[in-house]
Amino acid sequence: MSVLEVKDLTVGYGSNILSKNLNFQVKEGEIFVILGGSGCGKSSLLKNLFGLYQPIAGEIFIDGVDITKATGEELQEIMTHFGVMYQQGALFGSMSLIDNIKLMMQEYCTLDDDAITLIARCKLDLVGLLPYEHFMPNEISGGMQKRAAIARAMALDPKILFLDEPSAGLDPVTSAELDQTITDLSKNLGITFVIVTHELASIEAIADHIIMLDKASQSIIARGDPRQLKLESRDPRVRKFFNREMGNLK
Amino acid sequence: MLKTKNQSSNATWHLYSPALAKLELQGILNIHALQDCWRKIRNAQDEWLQLSATSQHLEIDASKVTYLDGAGVAFLIDVQHAQVKAQREIKIVGLAERFQPLLKQFEPIEKFFPKDTAPSNDGFIVSLGKTTANILEDAKLLITFIGRLLSDLVWAISNLEKVRWQDFVVAAVQAGIAAIPIIALVSFLIGVILAFQSAVGMRQFGAQSFVAPIVSLGIFRELGPLITAILLAGRSSAAFAAEIGTMKVNNEVDALTTAGLNPMRFLVIPRVLAGILVAPILTIFANLISVFAVCFTMTAYKIPFIASYNGLLNTIHLNDIFSGLLKSILFGIVISGVGCMRGMQTGTGAAAVGIATTRAVVSSIVMIVVVDGIFAYISTKTGF
Repeated sequence: MSVLEVKDLTVGYGSNILSKNLNFQVKEGEIFVILGGSGCGKSSLLKNLFGLYQPIAGEIFIDGVDITKATGEELQEIMTHFGVMYQQGALFGSMSLIDNIKLMMQEYCTLDDDAITLIARCKLDLVGLLPYEHFMPNEISGGMQKRAAIARAMALDPKILFLDEPSAGLDPVTSAELDQTITDLSKNLGITFVIVTHELASIEAIADHIIMLDKASQSIIARGDPRQLKLESRDPRVRKFFNREMGNLK
Repeated sequence: MLKTKNQSSNATWHLYSPALAKLELQGILNIHALQDCWRKIRNAQDEWLQLSATSQHLEIDASKVTYLDGAGVAFLIDVQHAQVKAQREIKIVGLAERFQPLLKQFEPIEKFFPKDTAPSNDGFIVSLGKTTANILEDAKLLITFIGRLLSDLVWAISNLEKVRWQDFVVAAVQAGIAAIPIIALVSFLIGVILAFQSAVGMRQFGAQSFVAPIVSLGIFRELGPLITAILLAGRSSAAFAAEIGTMKVNNEVDALTTAGLNPMRFLVIPRVLAGILVAPILTIFANLISVFAVCFTMTAYKIPFIASYNGLLNTIHLNDIFSGLLKSILFGIVISGVGCMRGMQTGTGAAAVGIATTRAVVSSIVMIVVVDGIFAYISTKTGF
């Protein structure tokens, strides 16, 4: 069963089209990775998927609701079905980690503060940051900030988590820890992940399904199991990406 | 047998006896589903726990739970903790195999209930000591900064070709030309207000013709430089602090240092030189606008413009004008220097830039008043 479906989507800014005629589905509980070279429009596609930007054309269904057409309360309601982790974490710098997580629940729930605090602590424990609940974002490392951002994205128990380059700028060990966190959350909570990344190690470690975007053709040039694609794809662009071969920078 | 029932959509509390209760859970247990029932169930549990001091057993029937996530587990932990805290028994039965690892992941549950630690409350003496230490530390930083600034100003004068004149021009335009409209407006209004207020008093003695010379004297010696300085503190000092503060947060200042470039000479000197230049120019501009406003206002009291003008020409000497200008140069150094200093002291994070900006404005205004006071004392003693 698909929780997210994209039909004939065209992504870009004004007259500058990044990708066109995109069609894909994300199944419930899978880790879905959007990959491609720099500037191919991965992050822009992601921002379209969770409704931050409006696509040029096409439809995006989350739980059967077309978010490109949803407005007002319907859009507000559908936005509680997913969480987003931005590339730099985007934690609120003036709040402690636990307050960052509680904020969403305080806005959207009628639970009392004790219950909200307990839930927030559980979320922090899920990403291994419970001992740091009262730390400010600038007091923890980049990897911890990203884990805390995942915990905040999970505040409202979303079905889907969108992650924008979760491993970017992290050392291999921290990156592997973050991958493990994502896999655990997917397995234990059944959360569907839609991740933008070009970290090959992460892609191979966690992705169930990928789509690869290409800047030149403005389309999806590969889709499927990344391990299989790495071994079997005959497309030179896909092979170059997976085998880290040099392209022409000019 | 005592038997009551407290039913919410996804959780039902069955009270069989003071010694036995059952919590029946069903369906999806997430944050949305638990909103209505969490508090009701916990209140029912707390009431039941007070019924008997002897052994009490709670059974949680989770056989009909179809989905469980972070909030659902948190709810189970809350119920479980209440039982454990009251030293009563609890048993969770029927929870599907696939949810067991999730539940186990959160053990031991005591970690979610840290013992309340009362916030340390410093006494008056400790608070006073801390505040004094902070003030002394701040004063030390200020003195250090002034020392480095003076040494780098000397360097700038002896190495004029090495000063970043492009940055100087940008800062001068930002602090000077862009401030002209607001300074013109405020100076004009201050002139009008002062003229009207002074005329009310002077009229009682039939001395309206002295309003323009006396008020203008005050403007040249005190109000012109002071108003210009306060406006610059709110505008330019804050802008310098925010600009350098953002560079500090983005590690740009560190990048300068590691590239072997002196951040003081690179960032601070062009801005301080710009402050030294624009503050007196803006003060002259503010003085002229204010004096014009005074003379113009006095026409409402049938004092011709030319009469007011001639009056102030006879009253105001070059000494008064230069006194105000010298003061404005000092204000310029204070405003730009303090703005840059607070920018360089910026901590980490976006909030730090805001704090640095606020501190820049407050410190600049305090320093302006301090410098003004010292200058007033010296000018009284020397007659300048």
